[in-house]
Amino acid sequence: MITFEHVSKRYPGPSNALLDVSFNLDVGEMVFLTGHSGAGKSTLLRLILMLEQATRGQVLVDGRNLSKASPNQAPQVRQRIGMIFQDHKLLNDKTVFDNVSLPLIIAGMRYADIKKRVRAALDKVGLLSKEKSWPLTLSGGEQQRVGIARAIVGMPPILLADEPTGNLDPQLSRDLFGLFRQLNDQGVTVMIASHDLSLIRAMGQRVLVLSGGRLIDDIPAAASGGVTR
Amino acid sequence: MSTGSARRKFRAQARRQLFSFFSSLGTLLGHRLGTMMTVLVLGIAMALPLGLYVTLQNLRGLDLNQDEWGAITVFLSSGISEAGVTEFAQQVNGRGDASAVVISPQQGMEDFRKASGFGQALDLFDSNPLPWTLLVTPQITDDGELGSRVASLATWLGEQEAVDIVQVDYKWMQRLSGLLGLGDALVTVLSIMFALAVVVVVANTIRLDVANRSEEIQVLSLVGANNSFIRQPFLYTGLWYGLLGALLALMLLQLSIFYLNRPLERLLNAYGNSFELDGLGGLQVMVVLLAGGILGFCGAWLSVQRYLRQLRVSGMIGRT
Repeated sequence: MITFEHVSKRYPGPSNALLDVSFNLDVGEMVFLTGHSGAGKSTLLRLILMLEQATRGQVLVDGRNLSKASPNQAPQVRQRIGMIFQDHKLLNDKTVFDNVSLPLIIAGMRYADIKKRVRAALDKVGLLSKEKSWPLTLSGGEQQRVGIARAIVGMPPILLADEPTGNLDPQLSRDLFGLFRQLNDQGVTVMIASHDLSLIRAMGQRVLVLSGGRLIDDIPAAASGGVTR
Repeated sequence: MSTGSARRKFRAQARRQLFSFFSSLGTLLGHRLGTMMTVLVLGIAMALPLGLYVTLQNLRGLDLNQDEWGAITVFLSSGISEAGVTEFAQQVNGRGDASAVVISPQQGMEDFRKASGFGQALDLFDSNPLPWTLLVTPQITDDGELGSRVASLATWLGEQEAVDIVQVDYKWMQRLSGLLGLGDALVTVLSIMFALAVVVVVANTIRLDVANRSEEIQVLSLVGANNSFIRQPFLYTGLWYGLLGALLALMLLQLSIFYLNRPLERLLNAYGNSFELDGLGGLQVMVVLLAGGILGFCGAWLSVQRYLRQLRVSGMIGRT
């Protein structure tokens, strides 16, 4: 589903953000991406979202070679990806319902269907009662869950998350990862960038470890209990 | 199967358009004061060339009375007797290509008193200073050579002994027609300038709007909106600005006409002309609205395109 072949990304400056990174993620796989801040996690996610273009190597997502795709194809790629951002990226002048419905409006779905799907997504993250609230009246954890509802409402085959538990307490973080696993069980390919090692350990999933832009470890599922920093 | 998917795509597109349509309306209503100020500026900018255009249209309506085109006023020598005047008038009528009407000094005085409002000033004169006058109207023929016939008639009249001054209104009309031509050119120049102003005003307003909503644009782009979806609400907003501006311009124009009609009527009555100021016709109103809408749309387009490119270059919504 997501394949990196010898991918390097270099920003103007002395060092590489990513250096010769290769891995393959099958359909329905769930993987954690970890490493110190500045290790290249965000750059890797930005490459998948077509926010950046690899300097060298090839990025394949959902059968599409992003290194050869024109910028005009970015919307099509992004519509197949549910992205959860560390800073939520909610629109504060729109209600929770309107925020979550954005991907469906972009897809041009019928309003009746949008309503059903948005409610289902909000129900899944436990925020159905907040559909008419404004994002700023919600707690950080609730805002994060609104962001998750927006990411899953379009039922994308790929789910990416950048530090989704950044400012959640341990209980909420566990619930969240449980939700990711549940989606993964339904066949969604999930990639989560996180440095919450204890949680990652507890999940027992495959882990990719980045350091200084290099992929220094690729720990298969069930063996990841031994990850150390 | 393919027609079904095409129809589905079309419906999705229609729903997106509808969303943008209402979203743009929501934005305008959300910033009522700002919207009103922008529309006011646009309305005034559009009203100016429109006003000039309507003025010219009305002036052109004046010179459609062809018989007045050819009117020649002949002031006779001061020493002439009433019999001499009658004889001369008969002589003019005898030419067969013109008819003359005699206006006596007394009658001229009365007309002037009535029409000009300077009646009391006339009482200061001991005797009537007005000369005997002939109004000579060339016969209307459709050979279209009114100009040259009037000219030759005027020359002949000027050569007559009884005549003091020949005043050809035709010349004045010629000048008016020249002025109207100049006015037309002025309307064109002003229209282009103010159309540019409308585009710039809308572009600037939309630019601020886009800048204020850059975060929203970024989010939309991240969840898969393409450029056209991001652009649409702003283009609709530009269209609304243009349409509302044009509507306001038309209202201002109509108001001005309503306000000017009374004094103008009085003025023209003094010239012996009955006259009604005409506004724009239904078709012209449609053209003005359409033009306003298109100008607003163009302004918005310029602005949004530029800004989207900037966002793309800065990496906020995509790679460079």
